[in-house]
Amino acid sequence: MTLTAWAATATFLFVYALIATEKIHRVAAALGGAGVMLLIHATNAETAFFSEATGIDWNVIFLLFGMMVIVGVLKQTGVFEYLAIWAAKRAKGRPYPLMVLLVAITAFASALLDNVTTVLLVAPVTFLVCERLALPAAPYLIAEALASNIGGAATLVGDPPNIIIASRANLSFNDFLVHMAPMVVVLMIAFILLCRVMFRRAFRYDPDRVAEIMSLDEREAIKDRRLLVQSLVVLGLVMAAFVLHPVLHYEPSVVALLGAGVLVAATKVTTSDALSEVEWPTLTFFAGLFVMVGALVHTGVIGLVSEAAADAFAGRLGVATMGLLGGSAVISAIVDNIPYVATMAPIVGELVQSAGGEAAQVLWWALAFGADLGGNATAVGAAANVVVLGIAARNGTPISFWQFTKYGLLTTIITVGLCVPYLWLRYLVGA
Amino acid sequence: MRARDVLAAFPPITADTPASEAARLLSEHKAPGLIVVDDRGKPRGILPGVHVLRLAVPGYCQEDPALARVIDEPHADHFLDPLAGRKVADALPWVSRDLPVVDSEATVLEVAALMARTGSPLVAVMSEGHLIGAVTLQTLLERVVAQ
Repeated sequence: MTLTAWAATATFLFVYALIATEKIHRVAAALGGAGVMLLIHATNAETAFFSEATGIDWNVIFLLFGMMVIVGVLKQTGVFEYLAIWAAKRAKGRPYPLMVLLVAITAFASALLDNVTTVLLVAPVTFLVCERLALPAAPYLIAEALASNIGGAATLVGDPPNIIIASRANLSFNDFLVHMAPMVVVLMIAFILLCRVMFRRAFRYDPDRVAEIMSLDEREAIKDRRLLVQSLVVLGLVMAAFVLHPVLHYEPSVVALLGAGVLVAATKVTTSDALSEVEWPTLTFFAGLFVMVGALVHTGVIGLVSEAAADAFAGRLGVATMGLLGGSAVISAIVDNIPYVATMAPIVGELVQSAGGEAAQVLWWALAFGADLGGNATAVGAAANVVVLGIAARNGTPISFWQFTKYGLLTTIITVGLCVPYLWLRYLVGA
Repeated sequence: MRARDVLAAFPPITADTPASEAARLLSEHKAPGLIVVDDRGKPRGILPGVHVLRLAVPGYCQEDPALARVIDEPHADHFLDPLAGRKVADALPWVSRDLPVVDSEATVLEVAALMARTGSPLVAVMSEGHLIGAVTLQTLLERVVAQ
């Protein structure tokens, strides 16, 4: 390795430690790291900004941007509040069916939208419903956060790690629907059954309180029906265009941008309102990460790690797959899964290439399942978990780190455990 | 015109006063806020009326206006019920370092400037170290406009 490669590695590890320990803001750490990489010539402006393989992945940035704008408009329609209250009424105030419906809605919404937005929308309704039924809100909030992370694994746009994997591995929306979504449905069924056991003490049914729920009028949540229809039509068209990629040949980033543009142009939502929902720090964080990881690729560090990994796992695809699944889950439980997947994507890419053949694609699914589901293990493993803890504290029902983690860890062990036979039987037997 | 000319007697409250009592006083005196005093009767801060609302209205309704709409009228009419058992201290967001307090000899411009700077619709009026009343934004404007 050259001196520059060593310096790039040291910079990367230092910045990763800063991100993991949250000593400074993750955006500052990523941008600072990117700046150092440029300063020491581990990368250069042309590579960092214009190279598809070793620069900022604009497909990822613009896909996230477009979806954030769409979600920002959709949030204003009140559709989530409508669905959650409708679910509570359908459950007739019975605690377990209520939890089943709320987690199902959360998981489904998380598959189409980002997880943090989903829990931000569902959590306030959960407080209202639980207050009416005199139920503890914490178990419901924890279940929703866990469901959002499981549901998000189902599609290309459901979780940021999937967006990175799709772009780096050249996988389509349909690939995720075929390889991830069916297993996510199984995982959700298992999770719903698990909730019955994990939160059994919280399910206290009081028939006298049912009227409290039935008096809520969910139709009042929808203030602007025209905006709701417009938003749902655009979201439907965006999802259809994702699925029709083999026919239309529009990249997901282009589809999301077009959808966002149409929504802003066709509705009364102002551009500034729509843009106010864009999480600029997250997009900047991604840009900084891509420059840093690109520098590691550019200086050959990733190539060396990939070669070592390829040698270690040569002819042992099964071991590599399970190692990647478990390792990704453990690491994602402790640190943010976005920088982890951004770093691992080029390494897994090399591994898939060196292993050759369609069979090696299983490594991508192992990475996706491990990173997406691992985030559930601890209260700080995923952004949705942190957001739920914050909302709970603000509303006077604080959830402690360990209170969340004991449920999250069990959920992660079971869901990741279920992925082992899935990956083994579907991809490795006879490969 | 001086502060003493536009002031009105105001019932002071303490941090231990029940929040529901504060709501009643706000309503009774048609006041935008109340003066919170310490054990020695010295002004400690201003409790704006909206802070009593913040204490009463569930967080989910404040975070998500759509949820305030879905609640039926009979339940909505009882939105002050959660104040039961709460104290003024729970509604006080901070102890202001820049207390909106003026001397009774202050001109109405001084009173107005203090309101504008602190954003408080209520200013406590002191005379010889004692709280003698308060000037509200409404009274101040009424008296100045009527001149």
